[in-house]
Amino acid sequence: MRYLTLTLVALLLGGALLIADDANVAKPQADVAKPQAAVPKADPIGYWLAPKAFRAAVDKVLPSVVSIETYGGVTIPGGPAPKQPPNKGAPGKRPPARGMQGISRPGEGPTTGLIISEDGYIITSTFNFIRKPNIITVVLRDGSQHVAKLLGQDETRKICLLKIELPADRKLPVPELIDAGGMQVGQWSISVGVGYGDAEPAVSAGIISARNRISGKAIQTDANISPANYGGPLVDLDGKVIGICVPLSPQGGGAAAGVEWYDSGIGFAVPLHGLDRLIGQMKEGKSIQPGRMGVMPGPVAGGGKGVGVNTVQPKSGAEKAGLKKGDIITAIDGDEIQDALHLRSVLGRFIAGDTIKLAIKRGEEKLEIELTLDSGNPDVENPTLPPPAPKVEEKPLEKPVEKEEEKPAPEAPKEP
Amino acid sequence: MGFGVAIARADNTAPSAKPQAAAADNSPFAGAIEYAQKRTVKLIGAGAGREHGYASGIIVSEDGHILTAHGIYVTGDTNARLQIIMPDGRVYPATIERRSDAMQVVLLKIDAKTPEHFDLPTEPNVQKADWVLSVSNAFKVADRDEPLSVNMGIVSLRTEIDAKKRAQDVELEGDMLIIDAITSNPGAPGGALVTPDRKLAGMIGKIIESKSTNTRLNYAIPSDRLRQFVDGKDTPIVGVTPPASTGKAELGIRLFRLSGKRAPAYVDRVTTDSPAAKAGIQKDDLILAMAGEVVRSIKDFDDMLQQVRPGEEITVILKRKTEVLSVRLMPVAAVEE
Repeated sequence: MRYLTLTLVALLLGGALLIADDANVAKPQADVAKPQAAVPKADPIGYWLAPKAFRAAVDKVLPSVVSIETYGGVTIPGGPAPKQPPNKGAPGKRPPARGMQGISRPGEGPTTGLIISEDGYIITSTFNFIRKPNIITVVLRDGSQHVAKLLGQDETRKICLLKIELPADRKLPVPELIDAGGMQVGQWSISVGVGYGDAEPAVSAGIISARNRISGKAIQTDANISPANYGGPLVDLDGKVIGICVPLSPQGGGAAAGVEWYDSGIGFAVPLHGLDRLIGQMKEGKSIQPGRMGVMPGPVAGGGKGVGVNTVQPKSGAEKAGLKKGDIITAIDGDEIQDALHLRSVLGRFIAGDTIKLAIKRGEEKLEIELTLDSGNPDVENPTLPPPAPKVEEKPLEKPVEKEEEKPAPEAPKEP
Repeated sequence: MGFGVAIARADNTAPSAKPQAAAADNSPFAGAIEYAQKRTVKLIGAGAGREHGYASGIIVSEDGHILTAHGIYVTGDTNARLQIIMPDGRVYPATIERRSDAMQVVLLKIDAKTPEHFDLPTEPNVQKADWVLSVSNAFKVADRDEPLSVNMGIVSLRTEIDAKKRAQDVELEGDMLIIDAITSNPGAPGGALVTPDRKLAGMIGKIIESKSTNTRLNYAIPSDRLRQFVDGKDTPIVGVTPPASTGKAELGIRLFRLSGKRAPAYVDRVTTDSPAAKAGIQKDDLILAMAGEVVRSIKDFDDMLQQVRPGEEITVILKRKTEVLSVRLMPVAAVEE
């Protein structure tokens, strides 16, 4: 498999590099090589050229990669997850599993972001703001530091938007995106991140492992994706952006879910194609939440495909749409639903506020109804991530906290 | 990147010709791997608690010098039981010659000739994104004369690292090679990091975590630095702290401290005629960086202030409303109270 991709590299690179790099191609050392162990003559040249291609790809996207520094915020202790009082936070949002906290905490280093517009919008990962910092700044590649405003976030993709203010004549370098649909499983992918605190970013290379992961929201790669590059770009060999590196887990969970996979060969990146609507919402400061129907699923009486409706939550989208206990959900937007797990996966494609078409069976009757998904928690429709804009009068006037180091992460504050 | 590269035994036994040919066609790395496997050893010593009593080591001279990463197996009395298992399965006791705290490496010696050894380079021999192969006894998978395990990746970055192990700081000094092959596993420390053209790029270091990212670090000590250590030319890297006699510095900044040590370093008061006042620092400014170091909290400010010396000008980066400003400031000697 790797041989194939590497050969592809050689083909893509063409003859020019091949000649240019000829001198660098390693020669076997005659004194140690037994005949059968010698580097073969029919050496796939792509192996030797790939590092050069990786470096060229990184150089191409680098001007658009920024360092994010955060100031203040809560200390997130290690050890077991803090106990959460019941009925706090979004329903269904489970606290991280015990023992996971040790690696779900951000480190002390800077984090990574990617410029997506000439006028100062920067996309990054919500993971980078788990500490709920009071102040966020962005350091551009020229070394200049700018105060950034945290706008909205998409909690289903773990991405969020920053904005820095620039003089009108200052234009930031915007990276190229890969062609929509122009990506293949097995092709090279390179992650870039500044998390180790060096002026130069760290680079990891791998291949695209799968395209439609986490309900189609993410691309999977075996390049290392970790806190060192969350928020940074995953690029192809041309330096075009495949997606933004984020921690994700098919099981959902909290802000840091998926971080525990950082060295496992499984990493995720969120593609930017088709996100215009969401980015628009984030620019307005909106928090994009997972969409919920408001039903407790149950088995289908007598077996068969679909999902039975066990209970309908009051005031939910399901109740408003007239869904009843005992209904069987057979399809969403034309996609046949197999079982409860499949239902969750299909729902994962939508966000709160989306309207979906449900095909249901009620007794012998087949019905089509429209249902508007909500977040299940009206409190979180707006940003949960402070700190909002650096206000002119802002002051760190929190109550004095004595044992702050031992304080667990506070709940997301309610809107004023 | 995290691939294990399965390698059939290439030495002494006589495999059938066919699979051998297939391996040669498909892996230009095979030669480098075989080369490294002949120069990398298994190391068994005493373990204790969660500390593993096994590791790897690299042969670096023809007269039995072996380098490994620091670990429980080379600590104190336990080295009486330190055994080196050579690639051919021979077992030797080892003695400790020298240690480097800055690199957390140990030079061992066995009483044997080791004509097949790595040559340590005097200059760095890899750059970012170059292929590297790690050859080690990760998880003690290989027994006796079984060949060591190989993982493939690229060099991610050569940089200094802020390291810790179980909440304790680890004082690692100088540049390290961060790699994207997963090597941060028991048994791997002391293993070889080689290039496809058979150069030793580094030695896998002991298992630590990065303070920057709070993740385990996959890294190696660069081979040019190992050379300096083996040659006895590794000058201890002196910290930036000058002699204490130069005294404490005063900037004339009082921070807003009611929110705890982890709060951002907001200026609450600037002493009249102080260095801060002369530099134009104002109440409610937020200190973002000082003397080239990021100041994320009051604690960072206090730590940094210890490093600042009277009469040595520093740059302070400030946030004032939505502006980021940079000012030069000349600290004066603090008045002892």
